[in-house]
Amino acid sequence: MFKRIISILFVLSLILTMPIYAAEFPTKEVQIIIPWAAGGATDLIFRALAATTGKYLGKAVIVVNRPGGAGAVGYTEAAQAKPDGYTLVSAITPLTILPHQVKTAYTYKNFEPIINVVRDPGMFLVRSDAPWKSLKEFLDYAKKNSDMITVGNSGAGGGVHLIALAFEKTAGVKFNHIPFAGGGPSVTALLGGHINAVSVSPPEGIEHVKAGKLKITALFAEKRFELFPNVPTVKEQGVDFVMGQWRGLAAPKGTPPDVIKKLHDAFKKGMEDPAFIKNAKDMVVNLSYLGPEAFGKLMAHDDEFYGKLVKEIKK
Amino acid sequence: MVESLQHLMNGFGIAATVQNLLYCLIGCIVGTLIGVLPGIGPIAGIALLIPATFGLNPTSAIIMLAGIYYGAMYGGSTTSILLNVPGETASVITCIDGYRMAQKGRAGPALAIVAIGSFIAGTIGIFGLVFLAPPLAEAALAFGPPEYFSLMVLGFIVLSNVTGKSLLKSLMMAIVGLIIGTIGLDPVAGDARFTYGSVSLLGGIEFVAVAIGLFGIGEVLVNVNQPSEMLDQGVLMPRLRELYPSLQDLKKSIGAILRGTVSGFAIGLVPGPAPVIATYASYMIERKVSKHPEEFGKGAIEGVAGPESANNSACQAAFIPLFVLGIPFAPPTAILLGALLIHGVNPGPLMISQHAGLFWGVIASMYIGNFMLLILNLPLVPLFANILRIPKRILLPLVILFCITGMYTVNNSVFDIWMMLLFGAMGFLMRKWAYEGAPLLLALVLGPKLEVAFRQSLMISHGDFGIFINRPVSMVFLLATVIFLIGPVIWLMFKKTKKGGILRVKS
Repeated sequence: MFKRIISILFVLSLILTMPIYAAEFPTKEVQIIIPWAAGGATDLIFRALAATTGKYLGKAVIVVNRPGGAGAVGYTEAAQAKPDGYTLVSAITPLTILPHQVKTAYTYKNFEPIINVVRDPGMFLVRSDAPWKSLKEFLDYAKKNSDMITVGNSGAGGGVHLIALAFEKTAGVKFNHIPFAGGGPSVTALLGGHINAVSVSPPEGIEHVKAGKLKITALFAEKRFELFPNVPTVKEQGVDFVMGQWRGLAAPKGTPPDVIKKLHDAFKKGMEDPAFIKNAKDMVVNLSYLGPEAFGKLMAHDDEFYGKLVKEIKK
Repeated sequence: MVESLQHLMNGFGIAATVQNLLYCLIGCIVGTLIGVLPGIGPIAGIALLIPATFGLNPTSAIIMLAGIYYGAMYGGSTTSILLNVPGETASVITCIDGYRMAQKGRAGPALAIVAIGSFIAGTIGIFGLVFLAPPLAEAALAFGPPEYFSLMVLGFIVLSNVTGKSLLKSLMMAIVGLIIGTIGLDPVAGDARFTYGSVSLLGGIEFVAVAIGLFGIGEVLVNVNQPSEMLDQGVLMPRLRELYPSLQDLKKSIGAILRGTVSGFAIGLVPGPAPVIATYASYMIERKVSKHPEEFGKGAIEGVAGPESANNSACQAAFIPLFVLGIPFAPPTAILLGALLIHGVNPGPLMISQHAGLFWGVIASMYIGNFMLLILNLPLVPLFANILRIPKRILLPLVILFCITGMYTVNNSVFDIWMMLLFGAMGFLMRKWAYEGAPLLLALVLGPKLEVAFRQSLMISHGDFGIFINRPVSMVFLLATVIFLIGPVIWLMFKKTKKGGILRVKS
């Protein structure tokens, strides 16, 4: 009797763990590795996109957070994942930054570009009751009190950290940069008044700007936000600085081209879905579609740009 | 307050529609199942079911997903009690007395008191959520890196000797936990530490692997090490009427449940691993206030009732920062945040006014859901308790199988299974030489957070340690730590001199 039960269990365990080979991709759900904590900008955008893409792909798209090491943990894992199209990774600006700063097990070349979804400007938020009424007051204070204004970021060497570093270089000031484990925690610390400002990109903190708790003190965009037409860009105010981040999807190197194409087509439809467009609008993210080739070029260009920037900063 | 009640009544109107009741029930059932299975936790459960909610209206969707979250808190303790395998991080502490109760043939009362305690805690937690949400969310913001650091120092010092056996051995285990916690990428600068080139170690050691290994696998190995006659004996089985707690059990537990509820709710508001801290704190409190502290660790029902209530109310409290600030303090609420966004609801300061129907509907559904969980779980008690009738010869290999598959589902990682087995071997040796696993796990959870908060604080203050004492909230925690450390020594000296004084008078 028990022997039989055990043999049944044994056979069952073999069946359940057997890899399923099938001609048609996808035969199971596709997972997107987010190398940042849940609740940050990248996480929110890809969760919304995963929701609308599922029905076009025919299988659910699942978001998995692998935060830590400024993205290195998630990217290392993704670079070494099986290139079968079932494990994707959110390719965002830091993918082309971190490999210049520390020795990583990957560069952007370890990934196949699929699609770019979002290009967002960077911005600095401060509390509404902050003493600085304008960008000029903020920068004047920073000039007089070098290294005193604490600016939170979502992780050392991450995209918004570099934006803050590049901005202080252009503006001729110096901030005290504090790393947090993602955009959520850094905005929380700003709300609680534990730091003076935070370097983020939408949608982080937008709800609090709408509610009047935080305000945008510096916007590094080409043009103003539709949602906040009264907030001028820093360029309008005489600081020639425009910088932002892109967020797209990539697969491990070696993923078959037809699988990439299927994924690209499904995610493109997911991007065009009215539900996603509405979500993106609510989150104040700037949708910007790029196909695999154009996205690959963008990555290559930025990899070179950040390589130079990091070298200059290190000097 | 009256206004809140009015809103809550409207919320009940929304939650009590047939459709929403159904989704609430589904959420509770799935949550219970997820809780019972070791490994797969509420985070994975919610994430897997988000796609199933696409066609639903946002209120029904969130009602169901929230049901999974608090439902998992009910089920999480089942395997802790029966098999010494913690199903969830929040039910580690339940292993200590819950498993002992089951070994004494009292699995039924232990399982039942979990359901009852969770129900009471959940109910009270909801009222806390209704009336205290906005002011409490603001209070939670007062916690910056220095406050967080000091709170964790206090938690660390107070809770490391949670089982109250050997302080020295507990501290040793806590230090081992801290060391294990440093493995992986440095959270501030991103350098790899103690990974020896292994990519699998970059993300650190998986908490669940350590927990299941030390407790579950360790226990199986301890059993295997016994003479083989012992294996043929089943556990002492109770009669039917002993399946549910006696009046005396309930009397003993009610204080523990209420204290656990209040402490759990308060701790649940603090960002970070609240349910773990809440359960440890509740166990500690119960052991301290108990008139018979020697029973703890040998099957005291309070040691089950308190922590299990605490993790439920902590789970309820975790909804406050999510709904009011739009900021998830705990990973499961982060997944819920994603679900809200997918359904076009942006949680944040404006959510309660902009989506009043959803907010109050979900809160009312939690009350209904807690009731459903009680009704669902109590009849399951005899079923689960009967698992222990299986002779150990057969049960123990099944437990191993169960642990391995459960472990694999967490990260789909074979490496984690090896880690779990390694910690299983360590758990066996620790049991043999009477070292406790609980302090190690606590340190493993708190250590990395403690380090980040410490380094952030010093970066903010440019290296000035004054930041920890210049800020009132932080200073209070540090002061409390000092009092906790020095207090007993002074008390002892005071008592000694008093005794000495009396002696002198006598002589």
